[in-house]
Amino acid sequence: MDKRVSFIRSLLQPLLAVIVGLAAGAVAIAVVGGSVLETYAEMWKGAFGSFYFFTNTLSRATPIILIGLGVALAFRAGFFNMGSEGQMVLGALSAAITALYLPGPAWLKLVAALVAGIISGGIWSAFAGWLDAKYRMNLLITTLLLNYIATLFAGYIVSYPLKDRTGSAAMAQTMMIDKSVWLPKLFKGMSLHGGFLIAAVCAILLFLFMRYTLKGYEIRMLGGNPLFASYGGVQRGKMMLLSMFASGGFAGLAGSIEVLGTQYRYLDGALTTPGYAWSGIMATLLAGSHPLGTAVAAILLAALQTGGMGMERNTEVPLEVSSIIQAVLILFVSAKITYSFIKRRKARS
Amino acid sequence: MDQLFDVSLFASTLRLVTPILLAALGGALCARVGLFNVGLEGLVLIGAFSAIVGNHFTGNVLSAVLFAILCSLLFSVLFGYMSIHLRANVIVVGIALNFLALGLTTFSLRAIFDVKGAYYNKDMVGLPKWDIPLLKDIPWLGDVLSGHSPLVYLSILIVILLQLFLFKTVTGFRLLAAGENATAAKSLGIKVTRIQYGAVLMCGVLCGLAGAQLSLGNVTMFTEGMTSGRGFIALVATMLGQSNPLGVAASSLLFGFMDALSIRLQGFALPTHFTMMLPYVVTIAAMLFFKDKGYMQEARKANESSR
Repeated sequence: MDKRVSFIRSLLQPLLAVIVGLAAGAVAIAVVGGSVLETYAEMWKGAFGSFYFFTNTLSRATPIILIGLGVALAFRAGFFNMGSEGQMVLGALSAAITALYLPGPAWLKLVAALVAGIISGGIWSAFAGWLDAKYRMNLLITTLLLNYIATLFAGYIVSYPLKDRTGSAAMAQTMMIDKSVWLPKLFKGMSLHGGFLIAAVCAILLFLFMRYTLKGYEIRMLGGNPLFASYGGVQRGKMMLLSMFASGGFAGLAGSIEVLGTQYRYLDGALTTPGYAWSGIMATLLAGSHPLGTAVAAILLAALQTGGMGMERNTEVPLEVSSIIQAVLILFVSAKITYSFIKRRKARS
Repeated sequence: MDQLFDVSLFASTLRLVTPILLAALGGALCARVGLFNVGLEGLVLIGAFSAIVGNHFTGNVLSAVLFAILCSLLFSVLFGYMSIHLRANVIVVGIALNFLALGLTTFSLRAIFDVKGAYYNKDMVGLPKWDIPLLKDIPWLGDVLSGHSPLVYLSILIVILLQLFLFKTVTGFRLLAAGENATAAKSLGIKVTRIQYGAVLMCGVLCGLAGAQLSLGNVTMFTEGMTSGRGFIALVATMLGQSNPLGVAASSLLFGFMDALSIRLQGFALPTHFTMMLPYVVTIAAMLFFKDKGYMQEARKANESSR
């Protein structure tokens, strides 16, 4: 019975957060002088109004899901990985380079590009983990700072050595990847691509991994109680490198899927401007690091964003209302953690 | 080399160091009471934006700065309430605060000024430049030290005052005690929560000033996310300086110098990407060389499972 109550509560909390977020959004809409109901109706239409918009939302959710999963894994192990943006960018860049320059059949290029993305994102993330494990440098700060270095480095690569000089557009981008290497679209004429399936499978696999495998248990133990974990023989340094590599690998995969499924090239700023990485972190916080919950939260956040775009097309209300709703959601989530903390304290005394 | 290290480089160092220094001092105060404030970035961003808003509506620089302080103060109250009163995870609250600051400022930029990305108005008056009498007549030194905004000089004053406050006054010692061991401090009758709130509020004031210097100091404009990681660099400065005002000032100077150098190097033939990378690379390198275990204990104390 206890299990059922806690299950219902775990559903109730995010729902409550959504309601509070929407209420804050309503205030913001009223401030700029829009009609709340009408605006939200437009928002709904923009996100789920037609099959086209729905698939659009799902394709926007794809990188957010993957990044959220990576961050969730690190959170579960007790590490704050704030470096998803840099990991995603490096993953995207190496995927683009692999797909462009690796010789061989198309399927091999595709697989190699995905793997290259995972590896480079993972190494960049594990580097921060290594700095922490070896030199005790604060992971939260190093991952944040490495973001700037990674995006600037990728920006340099596509502005100078690998810049696309064939087309007339003077943009900082690589050449277009050959059509045979693209991730297939799921429906004709829609933006949704095979990457979404990969993300969905990853969410389920991570859920099973965390719940039913020994390594998953060790990771949860390390996050839940580091002292107990080390007493039980879990090596913190090694686990840190492993979980940070996996965490960055997810972010790198997110970047490479964006490149192979949507952009078809690495375009400077195309991944950082929509704020995929930060949405991913928000999704994780919203779902309390639960893999499946993270996926659902990611779709919700993506819906807020695509809905916001639809709203801006059809009303006077600016798109940024979405970012207010998202921020309030997250703030409410930190209160949610508080709520469980108070409960725990009560139970103890 | 002479071209690179000239007077204006050092003068701009002093200008650029101020936002980092003020925010870092705020962070140091929070760290001293056992709160690891990741929300510095958001607080500074709020300060920068509200300074522009205040300037736009009142046309008065002083009231703009006061408005910036007020808004950052409100946000720091939120931070304090969540992390002290509700005992939420300080790091999560800090991150949430950064999100909220970014979302609110971009939204308000659209709602108030009806622009996207950046707001610039050439009629706005920035902070005045003060020429210090006597000092400005000294040949080299005068050019470096004179002609800055009042906030630059204020920040230097704050460093000294804070150093004296923390290590020479009774209240300062109580503050240190509250951070060092909250339970022991409480048993001596020190009002730990009140001291923590005081530190957080002071941090809000300092971050408001930092934001005002950022948006009204050298350029009178606001761009989305214009802090671009300075809050986090300030956090590193806090750690490197071991939350000691003088130490924080020294490490902030290093980062400010790197900031100035990176802007200066853009005039040379180097790709801007690498020059922009410089402050972040140096920050990471500095973390490697100046290891500080103190902040880790503080972070641990504040939140057992944060790391």
